[in-house]
Amino acid sequence: MTLTPQKLVLRSILAGVVLLGVMAACVWIGSQDVSLADVLKGPGVEGSPNIQYIIFMQERLPRICLAAIVGAALACAGVVFQAILRNPLADPYILGVSSGAGLGSIVAVLFSGTVIYGRIAGHFSWIAEATGMSSLMIMAFVGAMLTVWLVWVIGRVTGRTHVTGLLLAGVVVNAFFSALIMFLLSIARARQLQSTMFWLMGHMMLPENPLMVWFSGGVVLLGIVCLLMLGNSLNILSFGSDDAQSLGVPVKRTCFLAFGCAALITSVAVSLSGLIGFVGLVVPHAVRLVVGPDHRLLIPLSAIAGASFLVVADTIARVIIAPAILPVGVITALVGGPFFLILLIRYTKNIQWGPA
Amino acid sequence: MSLIEFDKVSFGYEQTPILKDLTLSVQTNSFWAIIGPNGSGKSTFLSLLSGHIKPQQGVVCVDQQVVTTLNTSQRAQKISLVRQEFIPVFGYSVFETVMMARYVRQSKRLFENAADREAVRAALEATDTLNFAERPLGHLSGGERQRVFIARALAQETPILLLDEPTSHLDLKHQIKIFDLLKQMQIQQGKTILLVTHDINLAVQYCDRVLLLGSDEAFFEGPPEQVLDSGRVESIFGVQGYQGRIQEEKFFVPLGQFSKDRPE
Amino acid sequence: MPTLLLAVILCGCAKEPEPSQPQADTQMRIISMAPNLTEILFVLGVDDEIVGVTKYSTYPPQAKEITSIGTFWQPDIEAVLMCKPTLVLTLGFEQQTTLAHRLEKIGCETQSLDIESISGLYEALSVIGSKVNKSEQAQKLVSAIQNKQKELTDRYASSDKIKVLWVVQRQPLRVAGTKTFANELIEIAGGINAISDTINVYPPIGNEEFIGSMPDVIIEPSMDSEQIQTQKATAREFYQRFSVVPAVANDRIYVIDGDLASRLGPRLAEAMQKVADCLRPEGEE
Repeated sequence: MTLTPQKLVLRSILAGVVLLGVMAACVWIGSQDVSLADVLKGPGVEGSPNIQYIIFMQERLPRICLAAIVGAALACAGVVFQAILRNPLADPYILGVSSGAGLGSIVAVLFSGTVIYGRIAGHFSWIAEATGMSSLMIMAFVGAMLTVWLVWVIGRVTGRTHVTGLLLAGVVVNAFFSALIMFLLSIARARQLQSTMFWLMGHMMLPENPLMVWFSGGVVLLGIVCLLMLGNSLNILSFGSDDAQSLGVPVKRTCFLAFGCAALITSVAVSLSGLIGFVGLVVPHAVRLVVGPDHRLLIPLSAIAGASFLVVADTIARVIIAPAILPVGVITALVGGPFFLILLIRYTKNIQWGPA
Repeated sequence: MSLIEFDKVSFGYEQTPILKDLTLSVQTNSFWAIIGPNGSGKSTFLSLLSGHIKPQQGVVCVDQQVVTTLNTSQRAQKISLVRQEFIPVFGYSVFETVMMARYVRQSKRLFENAADREAVRAALEATDTLNFAERPLGHLSGGERQRVFIARALAQETPILLLDEPTSHLDLKHQIKIFDLLKQMQIQQGKTILLVTHDINLAVQYCDRVLLLGSDEAFFEGPPEQVLDSGRVESIFGVQGYQGRIQEEKFFVPLGQFSKDRPE
Repeated sequence: MPTLLLAVILCGCAKEPEPSQPQADTQMRIISMAPNLTEILFVLGVDDEIVGVTKYSTYPPQAKEITSIGTFWQPDIEAVLMCKPTLVLTLGFEQQTTLAHRLEKIGCETQSLDIESISGLYEALSVIGSKVNKSEQAQKLVSAIQNKQKELTDRYASSDKIKVLWVVQRQPLRVAGTKTFANELIEIAGGINAISDTINVYPPIGNEEFIGSMPDVIIEPSMDSEQIQTQKATAREFYQRFSVVPAVANDRIYVIDGDLASRLGPRLAEAMQKVADCLRPEGEE
């Protein structure tokens, strides 16, 4: 009938096992032939290093982990935004994250040569060195977080209800920032443009410092756990803030926490991987159609499903036109779109989106 | 000792005052009907009572405590609110929906316990909705859904129950069923019920007291018969009416331009 | 050596007597829609007939004095018309073909050139040469470059092929594929592209593919001719993570002038030599 801790743990473990299986399978697939035997031979000696080992440890394994982290973050954030906004079509980028990250990254690429940027960036170069993240990544993160904060502030001031305010603010900010992005792109040199466009389509970049992968994973995990704790409140919030308030849910505080956590993990994901679409939109629905709308189950399982989805999508993106790579966002769109359509058709009888 | 006290409460938007110097006391275990034309302040009254909005003047007290000084959780333990039913965006089942009322009793717990499950089951039984506990809300009729929302308020286990026009769009059978249910809750569980409704006759049949709100800041409260006899219903609603009596029950019928019994 | 050749050609042009009979239009007014087209016009000696060039036509330095008519991917048609051109030289891609069509409609003569490969350059030189009545100079230039090409190809015909990655962009990592003219430069210099055939002309590749290709030499055309040293420094830092690859282990990372190496133009012979020098410094065989 209702969720018990045992049910949650059991299903999470099951899903977790599937994820590990997917990761274990995909780690051996890539444009270069790397086999277990190769890796077990060890790193090799000074003069003749074991290439397969290096490719595996330095590039493949971290990349698979990164894909899992980004996928988990995006799917989980998607679930939360859909709950807060009571909108099945919400995705993690809806409230300014996409245009904020895009703007940040374009500023990083376009102005990286200029003096002013150099001076400002100079103050923060220790961050870049410590984290091993490129200025593109850092600016994307900063851009995303600042924009989300802006949307939150505007949303509080406008709109009769909190949710309407957020949505309106999100639309306005997105539109304005998109225009800014278009402007900057139009004055960019062709080469700089290509670089940004590719990243915007969703391309996972490994940070220089491998610790950053752990750190990002930790932040995302923390965010997901916080959101899980809010699971009950999110269930009730999806009935409307008036209802939620009379049932004793501290609406403003819950919204703020949920929004903040979801925005944080999305910004981390975007800074590592650009704007990968469909994961945050499709995975929550797919999981909801299977396990129901209870967020205490939806949040952890969507995270795991999102992780698996992106690991597979990234592997495909890197193999399909090898040795060249496709932006992973292309694969998620091509796969996610029809998949969603099929799910919707099969299960639509169980779902009602609005008043009959 | 009264459970709810309004002391010279005033509230309005911009230039339009809605309520002025409203003073009344609601006794424990009473069943009130709140009647009035649109815009007279019925929903505002409920919002003031539930602490959603703050009075511009005066004080609203529940259990000797000023409502606006209570936090969300404390308020939810004293007052539950039922509005017109709707289908939520995501497909929660009847059981899950009613279980949401237990949030305020769960404090920080993420999962419900046996006591919660029992309260929900009892509420579903009382509202005759146990049969479709597993069905999603979208699969029920309007009347059934409204009962589920009432069940949710029941499971919240609050002394005070507020309802905002829960029956306006339901058919006769379901309207009566819900009024019966509410009366039962008053009698068997000692609840204090305040119900905003358009249906004067049902209100008069079931309620102990009626609060009549006018479009200006006028208000009148008293036992139903007194309210009907006073002639205020006609003047406040701006209609002509006929009052009648069948043995115990009084009734009121508004007469329009084409009514056959309209006095010339 | 190549500069000497160029000097000879330029001198040759200068010695050319002005045609005694005036032609129907006294002077041509030529607009060049790309930096390499500008270079070609200068080399052929018709630089004083050029009335408009694109923004980044920076070579030779005199070209910077000429009126700018926009960038080659976003040409300004109004500026073009203001220059009252009699001949507009364009490249073959979208924005420029549209411009060309509109100019044709107004009655302005345009010449579209497809310079995607070295043979394309030779053809373009002939076409331009005939259009501006400098066919002889054009032919001389073509021969000079062809000689250089033959010289290098012969010299390295029997040597071991050196694996080269021609990196045009770092984030994402993008290299010149097997269908580019950079690939031709590599092969002329006795090298081979470390990346195998791809659908994309300039494929983005992942770190894995970079390592797997195990290049002996990395060549980066510079973004900006003034920034070669800075780019060299950042390059060394950037490629550190690929230290297992011979190019990085042996410090065989070269940054060459982008204007020279990425432009299919009259200085191609110089570019070929430069690339050869990168592959075999100090003329090793």
